Amino acid sequence: MMSSIFVMAEHRNQALADISLQTLSKGRQLADQAQTELLAVVIGKDTTAYAEQVAKWADRVIAVKNDRLEEPLAEPYQKILALLIKERKPKIVLMGHTSLAMDLAPPLSVELEVPLATDCTDISLQNGDVIVTRSIHNGKLNAAYSFAPCETVIITGRVGEFPIEEGNRHGQIEEIDFPLEEEFNYKKFEGYVAQEVGGVDITQAEVLVSVGRGIKEKENIEMVQKLAEVLGGEVSCSRPVVDYGWLPSERQVGLSGKTVKPKLYLALAISGAFQHVVGMKSAKMTVAINKDAGAPIFKVANFGIVDDLFKIVPILTRKIAELKDD
Amino acid sequence: MDIIACIKRVPDTSEADAIKIDSSQRDIEKSGLAFKINDWDEYALEAAVQIKEKLGGTLTAVTVGSQEWNDILRRALAMGADTGIRIDHDVASEDPHIVALILKTVIQRLPYDLVLFGAQSEDFGSGQLGAMVAEMLGIPHATLAVSLEARENKVHISRELEAGTLESYTIELPALLTIHTGINQPRYISLGGIKRAMRKELQVMSPNDLGLSVDMLIPMVKLERLELPSKGKGAELITGAPEEAAEQMAKTLKEAGIF
Repeated sequence: MMSSIFVMAEHRNQALADISLQTLSKGRQLADQAQTELLAVVIGKDTTAYAEQVAKWADRVIAVKNDRLEEPLAEPYQKILALLIKERKPKIVLMGHTSLAMDLAPPLSVELEVPLATDCTDISLQNGDVIVTRSIHNGKLNAAYSFAPCETVIITGRVGEFPIEEGNRHGQIEEIDFPLEEEFNYKKFEGYVAQEVGGVDITQAEVLVSVGRGIKEKENIEMVQKLAEVLGGEVSCSRPVVDYGWLPSERQVGLSGKTVKPKLYLALAISGAFQHVVGMKSAKMTVAINKDAGAPIFKVANFGIVDDLFKIVPILTRKIAELKDD
Repeated sequence: MDIIACIKRVPDTSEADAIKIDSSQRDIEKSGLAFKINDWDEYALEAAVQIKEKLGGTLTAVTVGSQEWNDILRRALAMGADTGIRIDHDVASEDPHIVALILKTVIQRLPYDLVLFGAQSEDFGSGQLGAMVAEMLGIPHATLAVSLEARENKVHISRELEAGTLESYTIELPALLTIHTGINQPRYISLGGIKRAMRKELQVMSPNDLGLSVDMLIPMVKLERLELPSKGKGAELITGAPEEAAEQMAKTLKEAGIF
């Protein structure tokens, strides 16, 4: 029998993170297939409520408590997880591919000298071996990876790839008061900084005309603004447009921006990297205009035009205006 | 302040129509692809150059790759790096653990206060390397930095969490940071700048020169095969000349009750 599976459940703002319900669901499925135990690990100042929630998926819950664990910080998490993994020797340690995991998983794998695969879109067991799939080259290829023989592998799972399946277990909760002596003074947490709030809330717009890097320069935004106006919508964008300073971050859609659900999402020169798609895939209708026929956005769009936006957008704006008047 | 920036060369696949898998099933066909410096690394270099301009000191750019990778080191020199070091080792689909071990071995021979990486690569996007190197060097780190202010012996940074939230830290030096896009506006490099950088000598060494033997570089994660992703349902494509296609699209939107 395979040794156990660990899932580290994350919480932010007094709630379990969605990604953790996804990794717990995947962990449950793998544990059932391998006929082994799923252990959920929650770490924090007060983990009682989280422990009860994750117990629905887990055979056992390890709830680690310490007053100094108010914020999820990589250094104490690494210390705690390293001890737990050395002690219980799970076959798989699974967590979400989050900002916390970016800080935490690589050093943990170095400390434990175990393999790490990050941002995985699938995990499977084949004849007892763990195989993961990753999406590479801007979503244009999938890569399957295996691991060298080892006691434990660490895997982080991509947000939104593992469907949440309601758990029906009542895992036994084991509470650990963790003595945390280190001070971690070399890296001092100073607090959270909320995004500045501007005048526009794109999450409320029924129509979003969204632009990507292919808009080329700030002056070209005006053309997109006109299309948004004739559709009664707002302009939104992908990350590079904010990085270049062409639009403010409050208009950014995606993992690090807003999650939107408009009636129409019109994606102009947006390639459709998963970080973007995560934020707009619940749109009722998606239309893509992109000169790259291989852009992943065409996989999630309902309708598409493979062409240069600078050719299409002015004509489209005029045609919509004409049809409105009919 | 002595800064080391670790950079990578990637194929530009953002607008490449079709990426082809080669006969090994483990790599892509390289012919016909343009190569460039990894996007995130360009932001890391710019951050490093800005600190050097403010506080003085040295900036060393380091990469692990084959001879073609010299072009990104030249670019780094043109941006303001003093020295370029390449460790001659093919890392096409290498386990980040191995690349981290090589980089750690180089870095610990150099003077450094701050080590900068791009937060991830455009091709494989594991986002592992920087934080692994920090652990190997035994220095503090933070990934996904979107602001950075360096003082004599510490840095003040903010890093990006999910959904537009940031968290800020003060970190004592020496430290390692991975840099996210948007932290700055990387400077424009002229052809003349690149040409001047061509005259500068690059340092090239092998893993062996660093005391790393083949049996120390055995990957724990192995790429088994590449596959094209499933097509999915896919968009219904509206074709024709721009005038026709745009008109048809306008009608489609009207029929859907959008306006």
